[in-house]
Amino acid sequence: MSDLVIVGNGPAAVAAIERFRSLDSRSRVTVVSQEEVPFYSPCPLAEYVEGSVPRERLFLRPASFYDDNGVEFLGGATAVELHRGVVVISKAGELHSLAWHKLLVATGAVAARPPVDGIEGTAGVFALKTLSDAEAIMAQARRARRAVVIGSGFIGLEAAQALRRLGLDVTVLEALDQVLPQMLDADLAEIVRSRLEENGVKVLCAALARAIESERGAVRGVRLDAGVLPADLVIIATGVRPDLGWLAGSGVATDVGVLVDASMATSVPGIWAAGDVAQAPAWDGRQRLIPTWPNAVSMGRIAGGSMAGGESRHSGTDVVNVVRVFGMAVASFGERSNDEPHDFATGGARRRVRIREGVISNGQFIGDISGSGALLEMMRKGVDVRRLGGVIARPGVGPAWSLPRPPKPGRHAA
Amino acid sequence: MQKAIFTLMERCVACKSCEIACAVAHSQSGILATAQFEKPLPRSRVRITSAGAYSFASRCVHCEDAACIAACPTGAMHREAKTGVVAVDQDRCIGCWMCVVTCPFGAVTADPGTGKALKCDLCAVRTAKGLGPACVDACPTGAMVYATPDELAGMRRSATAMASVGAVEEIEESVALWRNLKGGRAI
Repeated sequence: MSDLVIVGNGPAAVAAIERFRSLDSRSRVTVVSQEEVPFYSPCPLAEYVEGSVPRERLFLRPASFYDDNGVEFLGGATAVELHRGVVVISKAGELHSLAWHKLLVATGAVAARPPVDGIEGTAGVFALKTLSDAEAIMAQARRARRAVVIGSGFIGLEAAQALRRLGLDVTVLEALDQVLPQMLDADLAEIVRSRLEENGVKVLCAALARAIESERGAVRGVRLDAGVLPADLVIIATGVRPDLGWLAGSGVATDVGVLVDASMATSVPGIWAAGDVAQAPAWDGRQRLIPTWPNAVSMGRIAGGSMAGGESRHSGTDVVNVVRVFGMAVASFGERSNDEPHDFATGGARRRVRIREGVISNGQFIGDISGSGALLEMMRKGVDVRRLGGVIARPGVGPAWSLPRPPKPGRHAA
Repeated sequence: MQKAIFTLMERCVACKSCEIACAVAHSQSGILATAQFEKPLPRSRVRITSAGAYSFASRCVHCEDAACIAACPTGAMHREAKTGVVAVDQDRCIGCWMCVVTCPFGAVTADPGTGKALKCDLCAVRTAKGLGPACVDACPTGAMVYATPDELAGMRRSATAMASVGAVEEIEESVALWRNLKGGRAI
């Protein structure tokens, strides 16, 4: 019997452990982790693949983290069923039941598998979600020449960039008609596409992968409507989704993720959820699944506080993302829309802020992302920005924002 | 209680001395004359931002619940245990800019020279030597104050007291003037 069982070992789980332990040093805590390795950050995996971040830098806590926090670590264990008071786990092919008093679902998400024939079981086809994915890609990249990345979200672009830097011939396939379709408007996405192409990455938009072509079980290419694209390394980067199968008999209410309130409590008393698996109230109050690192950490902290009996409430998760495309920063917050746009352009930088009923609803930034966090905060707080007019998209607009300066009195004014 | 930088907005004249002092303090040479030719160019972590008729030295306020620390996926952004300062470990930072897009003050910026996050470190090198932060020491109007909240409150109280005393003296002067005038004497 463990007082608290945490299923998962990502940022939400670790943030929950740390907050929980700061409030409760006595309860017995067990972590059930699918991977054998201790907690690591998945965000710099593309940098690990390209070689700019060494392996040890992925591990953000000392090796003694679990011992220091009095946590029993069950590695290589997968939760397969959840019942009241008991979770069934599978470890080394054997089933065990683990009794719990409180339980945190922090199992994260897995790479989505698009409906492409031959994705499963073909050697040389990978996702870039876990450390073992990254290491399998690195091994394959050493002997591969041509890579195809399916999906042009931020993970797809990071993967394409890493493989290009390793000297591979890289093509990105995007089913929609632009890159970064969730983050950018079509005209801004065109700048990103040019950046990729200038750096030797081929980009095919409105290109649907139909099947993985293989020869003796190893990938040989990707079949499109227009023909076959030769490839000896394929990365699937079409987003992530939580794996909720094991929760079927638990009574925990789910939608695309596990539904939680602002305290991270699920519909079942004694069960909380946090991280990429949790569909929590976002900044606007709508329950949404927004799988990002900052949301996972903040949700984990709240869950840790709630599980220790505190009154912690999340102020709402954020839709915010940022990616670098060959050194060019690209950031966005909020969701794409047709709201009133305000644009700012200078040099290579483009900034767009959209306003709905006087309040910022969306921001998109290329090249100059300074102060975007301040704009995000103004959106969250519902600050009326109408009096700022078009200045809102200018860099440097912050909480002490710039008002348009009056024209300087000309020395030789007529 | 830790010392922090406070800005007295009514005194700021937007001269940007703080910006220059900050860049020089964080340069390799530490000298204005040579710092401006360094590569990468030293950058200021404080930025004068105008706000209507006022201006304000905008910079990191070292939040208690810092969004940038929660957002950092490499462990680079951290809080110094001793000083409470929110700082960037330059070795760990990979320039993913999560801190830039989540800082509600716009106080973390992307340094194009180093490709790493750039923010106020509360002049750790200077304060360790007993000096004030460079921006505070450079401010010619006293618009920036490096003090604990209690010290600031004390300064505010004594300023109020001084203003009151000054007002009493003014009244006394007026009364003396009125008496003199009443007495028919020239001033």
